Amino acid sequence: MRTYELMFVVDPRVSDEEVVTMAQDYKNMITAGGSQITGEENWGRRKLAYPIDKITEGKYFLLYVSSEVGKTALPEVEHRMRQNEKIFRYLTVRTDEDLKKAARRPPRVGPEADRDREREASDRDRGDRGDRGDRGDRGDRGDHGDRGDRGDRGGRHFEERG
Amino acid sequence: MARARKVFFRRRKVCKFCADKIDYIDYKDVKLLQQFIPERSKILPRRISGTCATHQRPLQQAIKRARHLALIPFTTD
Repeated sequence: MRTYELMFVVDPRVSDEEVVTMAQDYKNMITAGGSQITGEENWGRRKLAYPIDKITEGKYFLLYVSSEVGKTALPEVEHRMRQNEKIFRYLTVRTDEDLKKAARRPPRVGPEADRDREREASDRDRGDRGDRGDRGDRGDRGDHGDRGDRGDRGGRHFEERG
Repeated sequence: MARARKVFFRRRKVCKFCADKIDYIDYKDVKLLQQFIPERSKILPRRISGTCATHQRPLQQAIKRARHLALIPFTTD
């Protein structure tokens, strides 16, 4: 069993609904090729780190795929994405080997995960600690006087480790 | 006169991924990757960050993937 992640970035001028239908197309292709969709994430509109074709934003979509060896339509999906000029970027990553090596699950990332975490944090009742009151005047810190000459600090050392 | 041997105290660098027990470096984890791309968006070398070789390799891979998807920049202009 192999698992893959397929992420693609769509032109932001494409409507959200259309992004979902595009994703549905690809999902159909993948399932028709004998693989399963194990998850999806719609990150929505996100600022690009650098402009692509003079556009500074993109809509991110992520598919999780699992399939038996040899039963995958991913090359066809990639081919279709390459031909679709509404797709700025796509990336397929095979994840099973790296995830197996990693004993611990990686943390979930992305806007959906952030939202979940925020909800969790706001659900916890932190209780009312009340007002901490006035901290009062810190008073005069006084004159520390002249600190004098600092002396020779030596040259710089370029050793790697001490 | 012999110069006294200077004693240096340098903060010991530890690999962040070993310390935090991160086994899988995800290209989607922009917040994590950003810690390893300084101002000019170059990949921070091991000698500065203290990352061990085992983790620098997947980190490098993750940064390059994230760059391709425009999650993090190639360069700042």
